Amino acid sequence: MTHYHPSVEMLTDYAAGSLPLTHALCVSTHIEHCHECQQQLRKLEILGSHLFDDVPTEPRRLDDLKQNLLSKLRKSDRVSDNSHPKESTESKLDAFLEDYSVPKSLRQFVKKSYDQLSWTRLSPSFKIATLYNEEGGAQVALTRVKAGAHMPSHTHTGDEITLVLEGAFSDEAGIYRKGDFIQRGANHKHKPIVTKDAECICLTVLDAPIEFTGWFTRLLNPLIRRHHPFTRAEG
Amino acid sequence: MEPALQQQADEQRVLDIIAIAQHRDQEALVRLFDYYVPKIRAFCLAKQPGANLMADDIAQEVMIRVWNKAHTYQKESASLNTWIFTVARNARIDYLRKNSRHQSDIDPENLWQDVVDENADPFKDMQHHRDQKRIKEGLDKLPQEQKQVLSKVYLEGKTHQEASEELSLPLGTIKSRIRLALHKLTIYIKR
Ligand SMILES: [Zn+2]
Repeated sequence: MTHYHPSVEMLTDYAAGSLPLTHALCVSTHIEHCHECQQQLRKLEILGSHLFDDVPTEPRRLDDLKQNLLSKLRKSDRVSDNSHPKESTESKLDAFLEDYSVPKSLRQFVKKSYDQLSWTRLSPSFKIATLYNEEGGAQVALTRVKAGAHMPSHTHTGDEITLVLEGAFSDEAGIYRKGDFIQRGANHKHKPIVTKDAECICLTVLDAPIEFTGWFTRLLNPLIRRHHPFTRAEG
Repeated sequence: MEPALQQQADEQRVLDIIAIAQHRDQEALVRLFDYYVPKIRAFCLAKQPGANLMADDIAQEVMIRVWNKAHTYQKESASLNTWIFTVARNARIDYLRKNSRHQSDIDPENLWQDVVDENADPFKDMQHHRDQKRIKEGLDKLPQEQKQVLSKVYLEGKTHQEASEELSLPLGTIKSRIRLALHKLTIYIKR
C-alpha cells in the first residue's frame, strides 16, 4: 500500500504535459502501481479534454494540410500492409527473466535488470548508477543500499525526488515502502536507514548535486560531483 | 449546440473511429480531421503563439496516430475527446522535445500513455460517464479566475511558476486557485 504520492500540482502538470521529463519519469513510475493516482490522473485528463474542447479556434483553410495527410496515409498503408502492428514480445520476456520487475517507464534505461547497470560503489553498502544527466539540468540515478545500512547523511542543494523501487527505508519523518514518492526541498538534511529485511533500490532525481555531510563521507563529494552534469568536465 | 445534437455528433465520431479501426475508412478520418484539427492547432498555438508550422506538424502527427492507433481506442474507458486530448498532448510533448535546444534523451513515449484501460468493465463505464458529466458541469460554473489558471496550465502548458509570473500573482495564489478548482470539480480530495 502506497502512502506517499506526488502532490496534486505535480499530477496536474503531468496530466497537462508541462512537467519536466525527469520529473515525469518519477511520476510515471509511481503511477504504474498506484491505483489512487491513476484515478486522479484519469479525472485530470477528463478536465484537460474539456478545456481542449472549449479552446477558441481560428478560421483557416486546411485543405492543403488535409490532402498532404491523406496522401501520406495512403503511402504508409501501402508500405506496411499490417495495420495492427504486432506487440513486441521481447520486453515481456526480459521482464520475466529478472529478479525484480523493472517498471515500464524505466525500460528505456534499464534494458534487462538492475544488475547490469554500471554501478559505482561509494561505500561498502551504498552504490549509485546514473541513468541520465540532463544538459544543464537534473540528474536521474538509481541508488542501491544494503539491508539495514545507513545511507550517507546528506544535504540537497536542490529539490530531490525519491521513488522506492524495491525494499524500504526510513528517516526521522517516517518509513517509505515500494512505490512511495518522496519530494524534498533544498537544504533538507536527513539520515535515511534501510530496513533490515532487504536491500533498497530507489530512483532519484536531483535538481542539483547532493552534498554528503559527515567527515568521512565528505570524501565522496568529488565522486558524486563527477557523476553530476553541473560539475562534469566539458567536452 | 443543443445537448441532444451534441450527443448525436459525439456518437457519430465514435462510429467514425470504429470505422477507421475496422476498415480504414478515409471518409471517417476526414470527418474527424474537420472537427479536431482546428482544436489541435489552437491547442498548439496556445503554447506557442504564431507557430503555425508547428501547429500543422503536430495536427498532422495526431491524425496519423489516430489512423494507426484507432484500434486501441476503447469507449468504455474514455470519451473520444479525452483520448484525442491525450494523443495531442503526447504529440506536443514529443514535438517540443525533438525541437528544443536542450534535447532530452528521455523518451516521452514511455511516460505518457494514451489512455488505455486493460480491464474495462461496465461499472467503470458508468463511473466514467459520471465523472465526465460532473467535471463538465463543474467547469461551466467555475469562477473566471480559476478557469483562467487552469487554461494557462493545460492549454498554454505553463508551469505553476510561469503562470504566476505571467499573471503577476504570487505562486501561492496560483496553487490555491488550482486546488480550489480541482476540489470543486471533485478531482482533488485532500489526503
Ligand atoms: Zn499515488
